Amino acid sequence: MTYQKPIPLKNIDNAPYWDAADHHEMKLQKCNDCSNYNHPPGPGCSKCGSTNLSWKNFGSDVKGKVYSYIISYRPFLPGFQNDIPLVIAQVELDNAKDVRIIANIIDCEPDKVEIGKSVRMVWEDITDDRALPQWKINE
Amino acid sequence: MSKITDRYAIVGVGESERSKNSGVTPLHLALDAARAAISDAGLEAKDIDGFMSYNENDSCTSHQLATNLGVRPKYVKDILGGGSSTELLIADAISLIESGELNTVLIFRSMNGRSGSRVGGGWDPNMLQANIDGGSYIIPYGAASPGQWFGLFATRHMYETGITQEHLGHVCVSFYEHAQRNPKAFFHGRPLTMEDYLNTPHLSYPFTKHDFCLESDEANAIIVTSAEQAKDCKTKPVYIMGMSSRQCHPHSHYWSDLSQVASDYVAPEVYQSAGVKAEDIDVASIYDCFSWVVLRQLEAYGFAPRGEVGDFVAEGNLRIDGKLPTNTAGGMLSEGYTHGMNNVLEIVRQLRHQYGETDRQVKNCEIGICTGWAGPDIAGAMILRN
Repeated sequence: MTYQKPIPLKNIDNAPYWDAADHHEMKLQKCNDCSNYNHPPGPGCSKCGSTNLSWKNFGSDVKGKVYSYIISYRPFLPGFQNDIPLVIAQVELDNAKDVRIIANIIDCEPDKVEIGKSVRMVWEDITDDRALPQWKINE
Repeated sequence: MSKITDRYAIVGVGESERSKNSGVTPLHLALDAARAAISDAGLEAKDIDGFMSYNENDSCTSHQLATNLGVRPKYVKDILGGGSSTELLIADAISLIESGELNTVLIFRSMNGRSGSRVGGGWDPNMLQANIDGGSYIIPYGAASPGQWFGLFATRHMYETGITQEHLGHVCVSFYEHAQRNPKAFFHGRPLTMEDYLNTPHLSYPFTKHDFCLESDEANAIIVTSAEQAKDCKTKPVYIMGMSSRQCHPHSHYWSDLSQVASDYVAPEVYQSAGVKAEDIDVASIYDCFSWVVLRQLEAYGFAPRGEVGDFVAEGNLRIDGKLPTNTAGGMLSEGYTHGMNNVLEIVRQLRHQYGETDRQVKNCEIGICTGWAGPDIAGAMILRN
């Protein structure tokens, strides 16, 4: 069965992030002038406006802590009807504390989610050539 | 105080019928609201030389409205926007009157928000990804509703400040209580007890259906003019003491930083503009697309210190006899939903003392605050007096 949920759309600003995800790696945009990460990425640094931006590869070992979360009991988009209850979490990265990345926490009972919980990034192969970063609780 | 203080006023307010299925186009609703506001002010359509509206591609234009009122204004403007657009357009109207371009401006919001284009419903996922800033980082994860986005802010804020589900419930219960005194409110005749609230399942944790605003078909309109011209109007003018029309979150992608909201930047500016403090405010219209949004704004606007906002609402302070009667027609949680303008109508009526000796009138209210919240990213506010 084909993948029913929205597939991340690549554009001129986010392509390096999603290309890396397809290879089960995480890359983040970084400002060479103020040294802050810029996520979500864009044509200018949201902290200082610089266009002197580059990408840093974090590889496949990405860990973090749950910073906030919600649990949806109704699908708000087509394709999610079999994923209810759906946990959507914002996770603070261990190796880049000012960066927080939103994804689902998969294979997780909703009552197991709490702020501060340790999670790791995993990649779901959603089509032949695309992969979606997700979070999984570190047992 | 700013140089606009007390020099401009809201002189007319009006609304269409409110329903779940109007059976007419937004133009018809807008005409009803505009005629009601013009009549309220004691004006004629030809006295309005500027028409403005905000919409999300779900309405009629200002030009259409003027045409069907049979007048040809000097100026029309329609902007894309939701919450805080009323404050933004009032600021624009004041600027145009101040510059001598216009005399009197009508601002409206008209939508078939239930039977027509529903906010947050039926949108194409790829359109959302392409049009929302950072959309590819949320839409593939099923996060497409403001209730989910703002919920991420809410869960973290509740964790940091000790706000509980019951505190969210106090916002809902207080506003539903107001709606029981307002026969035109959607949830008139449908009171909500705390027990009912706590027994309602989550729609999207931490929110239940009661924490979400409702959806309605309706139009609202207001008329803004100078203090001099306000003297010739039929109703008692409500003067604009100060505004901060549209402030932003420091980062364009607000889901990268849940710790601050645009309202934090609006608050000092609006108080400075009006020359008053939070303790001077007698009545409030606080943008209430979600219950938690009210709590976060009570903190931002200094009505209770961070960490004590939950106690503030639990003490009943949002009720008609509380320290800060808020959204006294029921707000968007229980009266109706026009991206905030219904709350503007209500605070104008309160400050006019239009409800007289009835139980709907906030006793002796002189100064009110009206806040707008487009999201954590954009906010506006104004302070009004009678």
